[in-house]
Amino acid sequence: MKPPAWAQLVLWAVAGENQAEFVAGDLHEEFLLLCAERGPSAGSRWYARQVLRSAATLVGLRFRSGEAAHLAAAALIAVAMPLVLLDRLWSFVYSHIPLKDGLERAPGFWAANVVCVCACAAICGSLAHTQARAAGVAAAAAVGAACALWCSAATEPWLYAGLVILAAPASSMAVFAWRGSR
Amino acid sequence: MKWVKRIAIVLAVLLIVPIATLLVLGQRKGAGLAQTSVEINAAPDQVWAWLDDNGKLKQWISWMVDAKDADPAKPHGIGSKRIWTMKDENNGGMLMEIAGTYSEYAPPSRLTLQIADKEGMFHGESSYRLVDLGGGRTRVEVKLRAHYTEWFANLMEPVITPAAEKKLAMDVGHLKRLVEAKAELR
Repeated sequence: MKPPAWAQLVLWAVAGENQAEFVAGDLHEEFLLLCAERGPSAGSRWYARQVLRSAATLVGLRFRSGEAAHLAAAALIAVAMPLVLLDRLWSFVYSHIPLKDGLERAPGFWAANVVCVCACAAICGSLAHTQARAAGVAAAAAVGAACALWCSAATEPWLYAGLVILAAPASSMAVFAWRGSR
Repeated sequence: MKWVKRIAIVLAVLLIVPIATLLVLGQRKGAGLAQTSVEINAAPDQVWAWLDDNGKLKQWISWMVDAKDADPAKPHGIGSKRIWTMKDENNGGMLMEIAGTYSEYAPPSRLTLQIADKEGMFHGESSYRLVDLGGGRTRVEVKLRAHYTEWFANLMEPVITPAAEKKLAMDVGHLKRLVEAKAELR
């Protein structure tokens, strides 16, 4: 019997190396008991609720231990900064159009942003040595990407924004998994 | 160490490949030239008014907030100056003045302006040619050639020019709709 994978991933992402194992162990014991008493779906719902309710506290603990601060800094440098710099670059390009142009970017510019974000997030993922750290890096990459999108001067399509926020953690985790498999 | 090398290679590729591509594309024949044309269901003199009148210019060139003659006493013609003020939201909403000097003025068929922005970022030529197709129809051909003075803008020219061309086509499409709407009202 296994708890929902997404909830486990969120737990690893928010709890950090110091807490994740203990918290996951305690939750798993309770989860098995609940599954035996009320069935697997009730156990899964309880597990997901517990993870979501304790997320804020676990992030707070992680920040106090200094680990989350490093992750946040890494995500800012590796994902948010390149995106912000690219946004500034495209603004520079558009401000040089003789008769000026709007805040909508050509699809090629959005594609370049996505490629750059994926490459930078993948580099971050390749540097993570443990699953907890990789999950943390992935979550921080998604937050970094969201912050960069928020700061952007351009009018972003929803599809692009969603793609960036998903592609950053996905490429980070993919490279971590690929590296682990070798 | 192996991973550091791989990361360094990825970063180098991310920088070197685009820069090399931009340098090569910057050498192409039509570098800096944006052009478009449109056929309008109106006579050349009706279209000409939209190119010549400062108030009308603001209606079809997006992001233009003001258009005026440098010397209102001097009529439009070769050597006279026109000042365009553009609002640049890509530069924090800054107002940017572009000065245009007429180098060709032949109503209702040809109009060419030598343009330069006050910041000294670019200079170039903007020309409009109206071809009478007969039966109250006109083909408007617009060409915009720009030279960038900053090295970085010059490097980015292959990216700037297609965006400028897209904007030009959008404005000319807007002009067509406005002229045809007014022509129908007459």
